[in-house]
Amino acid sequence: MQGGSSGIGYGLKYQARCISDVKADTDHTSFLTGTLSLKEENEVHLLRLSSGGTELICEGLFSHPNEIWDLSSCPFDQRIFSTVFSTGESYGAAIWQIPELYGQLNSPQLERIAALDAHVGKINCVLWWSSGRHDKLVSIDEENIFLWSLDCSNKNAQVQSKQSSGMLHYLSGGAWDPHDVNAVAATCESSVQFWDLRSMGKTNSIEHAHVRNVDYDTKKKHLLVTAADESGIHLWDLRMLKAPIQELPGHTHWTWAVCCNPEYDGFILSAGTDSTVNLWLVSTSNHDELPSESLVESPNQRANSLLNSYSDYEDSVYGLAWSSREPWIFASLSYDGRVRNHMLEK
Amino acid sequence: MSGDEVPLDEKARRMRDLLSSFYGPDPSMSPNPPSKFAPLDAINSNSFNADHYLNLLIHKSSLEGLLQRHVGMAAEIKNLDTDLQMLVYENYNKFISATDAIKRMNSNIMGMESNMEQLLEKIKTVQSRSDGVNTSLFEKREHIEKLHLTRNLLRKVQGKLFSDSESIQARAEAAMLLKQLDFPVDSLKEKLFEKLEQSLGDLQLKDEDISRCLLMSNDPSKLENHPESVAATVHEASVQEFVEAVRAYRVIFPDSDKQLIKLAQELVTKNFETGEQYGKKRIRAADLLAVLRMIWKEVLLMDEVLHESVLSEFSLEAVQITVKHHVASRFSHLLHDISDALTKVYVGQKEGMEEFPLQVALGASKKAVLQGSMDILLDFRQLLDDDLELLVKLRESILNWVQEGFQDFFRELHGRFLLLSGRNNSSGQVHGVVEGTQGDRILASLVLVLAQLSVFIEQTAIQRITEEIAASFAGGGIRLYENGPAFVPGEICRSFRSAGEKLLHHYINLRNQRISVLLRKRFTTPNWVKHKEPREVHMFVDLLLQELEAIKKEVKQVLPQGLLRRHQRNDSNGSTNSSRSNPLREGKLSRTNTQKARSQLLETHLAKLFKQKVEIFTKVECTQESVITTIVKFSLKSLQEFVRHQTFNRSGFQQIQLDIQYLRTPLKEAAEDEAAIDFLLDEVSVAAAERCLDPIPLEQPILDKLIQAKLTKSLSQSAVSS
Repeated sequence: MQGGSSGIGYGLKYQARCISDVKADTDHTSFLTGTLSLKEENEVHLLRLSSGGTELICEGLFSHPNEIWDLSSCPFDQRIFSTVFSTGESYGAAIWQIPELYGQLNSPQLERIAALDAHVGKINCVLWWSSGRHDKLVSIDEENIFLWSLDCSNKNAQVQSKQSSGMLHYLSGGAWDPHDVNAVAATCESSVQFWDLRSMGKTNSIEHAHVRNVDYDTKKKHLLVTAADESGIHLWDLRMLKAPIQELPGHTHWTWAVCCNPEYDGFILSAGTDSTVNLWLVSTSNHDELPSESLVESPNQRANSLLNSYSDYEDSVYGLAWSSREPWIFASLSYDGRVRNHMLEK
Repeated sequence: MSGDEVPLDEKARRMRDLLSSFYGPDPSMSPNPPSKFAPLDAINSNSFNADHYLNLLIHKSSLEGLLQRHVGMAAEIKNLDTDLQMLVYENYNKFISATDAIKRMNSNIMGMESNMEQLLEKIKTVQSRSDGVNTSLFEKREHIEKLHLTRNLLRKVQGKLFSDSESIQARAEAAMLLKQLDFPVDSLKEKLFEKLEQSLGDLQLKDEDISRCLLMSNDPSKLENHPESVAATVHEASVQEFVEAVRAYRVIFPDSDKQLIKLAQELVTKNFETGEQYGKKRIRAADLLAVLRMIWKEVLLMDEVLHESVLSEFSLEAVQITVKHHVASRFSHLLHDISDALTKVYVGQKEGMEEFPLQVALGASKKAVLQGSMDILLDFRQLLDDDLELLVKLRESILNWVQEGFQDFFRELHGRFLLLSGRNNSSGQVHGVVEGTQGDRILASLVLVLAQLSVFIEQTAIQRITEEIAASFAGGGIRLYENGPAFVPGEICRSFRSAGEKLLHHYINLRNQRISVLLRKRFTTPNWVKHKEPREVHMFVDLLLQELEAIKKEVKQVLPQGLLRRHQRNDSNGSTNSSRSNPLREGKLSRTNTQKARSQLLETHLAKLFKQKVEIFTKVECTQESVITTIVKFSLKSLQEFVRHQTFNRSGFQQIQLDIQYLRTPLKEAAEDEAAIDFLLDEVSVAAAERCLDPIPLEQPILDKLIQAKLTKSLSQSAVSS
């Protein structure tokens, strides 16, 4: 179970929280990551895995005006990505484009395509729809969900609709259902809320406290994975939200992030504040038939579902991303700014 | 005679007189001798004196009268003459006819004599004939009478045969009798058999029988006298009867063995079923033994009669099942007991009666496990040691079952533990941590008790049970050891060890959840960027310490103490400031003061490199110190994470600094791993500094002053409350 320290490392200059797979880059396995430093000049790094898979190469380094709290790459254009940033006192979100000739420039500037500037409070995340070209964006701040329509060529983003999450529901994050362009899951303090983007209304919710991170399975419809601080990882069937279909113990301290493999069924990554990344294998194939089994699941099975625990980190791991091009590779980012790439042993 | 008589009927009177004078004149009858003055009409009397009469008449009467008299007299005389003539005539006639009759009689009597003789002869022959007939019929009549008698007897017998009031035996005897008499009994056979079947119903062991039997056997005074015989007499008598009946039946109908065997088997089966049901109840093995013994006794009795019926083998199987079920049920009862003992954690806490509810619950459940297991073993030993033939044969199987039973029992117990902690967990989460605080606390303590109980089972109970099994239940047969012994203490120990760890983790988790809620509130509520200057230590510190205190109290009740290392630490660290970590912290902070922040991260990294890496997430041991230390570590880690998520202004940072500084002493006192606590507290400070726009710490004197103020305040508060 002790993690092989076979991972490839890359060090950022400052602390960092977020890393994203560049899905649109079909030629290389690339990741985007951004630093989190209150007082220094923050950077966005474009990393590429060398062809031999032995090295992480910094393909591009761009300065970013503020510390980056959230970063995600556009699923259909490798040069576009979104960030959520903070000056320390206020928050902002923007869509950026990597300049075309960045290889030749010394310190190229990112081109801001659009500012998602309708937010007031603390912004949590910007979501892209991962399953294809879609001209909409979702951004979530503490109290509202925004639906933006993005026009990249005209460098313009318009608020299409906006809805408040309701009194006393402070949102903390979310995920866009890859199977349904109109469904978004948003996490708040005491529950996970499901939103329909057409009506901008809540359709359903999971009453489960302190969900930190949420991810849809891209292969299996109706499967949602949540990570909560103390209570570990839960797998939910969206058609039966009363109880989770499976539970994983998660991490020794909090479970911070969770990530379903985009290709292989049942491979789930989780990152925790105990400075480890865990790889789980769950059998989700028979959940449709036997959803209640998980309640009486034997402890042995649970222990066995932990495939590997990668522990070559010095600090809490907040960032986690599978490569969609080579889905046996994932990148992780610990708070001390170190990126680690791991390859699954087959 | 007066003249009045004359008008009556003179003629008739005269005739009578005449006749009477003719047939026997009676002087007495004649009137008195006439006196001189005899009336004139006394002419008919004997003393009639014609002269006198005449004189008298002449004297008295006139001539005319005389003449008249004369005429009258002459007429009378004439009448008398005719009367006389008539009388003579008549008498003569009579005489003639009498003579004739006599003449005839004479002639008739002559032939009579010979006839009489003939008659006599005839009568004599008749008599002799009748005698002959009589003698010739005598024998036959006697025979008939005998037959009649028999018939009556048979009637009676038959009546007995079909009356339910008669005992089976009596009936069987009757049947036998009938048979001896060559009575056609085949038709009876069926009926008799039916009756036998019906009687089975009465014979079956009833709960009352059993309880009666047990009552007797439980009563030691009676036990001494007649172990079970007293108890079972009633039942035994009826069995005896049944056996006799069967025996009789068998004699009568030799070809009916099959049916009888079937019948007997049925009876035995039913009895064993009863026994089995009984064995499933919560009873001691001794009681079961008594019941089995009772059944076995009757089996033996029946076996005597029906040799071919293989009843003993049959009942061996049945006993096997019974004992097996009994063993199983004992284990399930034990499981139930333990669950009960555990759920008292809930009850005890809700009522809040006892001072140390957890300790009590733990003690009770420990006892339930150990004592229960020992009791079971003891009981089973009784089963083993008993000389009942049946059980002796089953020895090996029993050994096997007991071992298997323990294996299964612990496996189930393990599952039960996880269920108790897991089920409640999910439901607790549904309620939400905020509202379900009370339930949460209880759940947490239950989990803690379960954890310690698992350790106890792993370390003590299993060992004891293994020893016990080795002592009295070893040698479960060679056959068994080919597949390995059924009871594998190692496996159970392993599973309980992992369960204990898991439950302990679960407990820590539950506790941390509560602390996280506390911290989350603390960090999400204020606007840290616009924080005001710190005036005092924030009250969340008190809440945190309270929470820790509650945990300590719980843990102290349940978990054992670990190795004492605390004294050393107290000796070396009298002051609030850790000598080891402080320079580092001060150094870091002073340098951030100088705004050489660019090197800050690098420095942190370097510091980490040079400092011995502190293991935060060490393995939790099942001791008070270890658990508390772990919880403290976790909460500090959480604190760090919350801090990292905020951005502070200078005052916010200073507030954190103050709070952390205040926490340092009590946390180090509470926890064992001083270095790790220091490290984590520093980490929080560093995180706050990193997330601060203007990290200028409080001056040490101000810091000390504020802390001192807080200390005196909390001291006075505790004084007031106590």
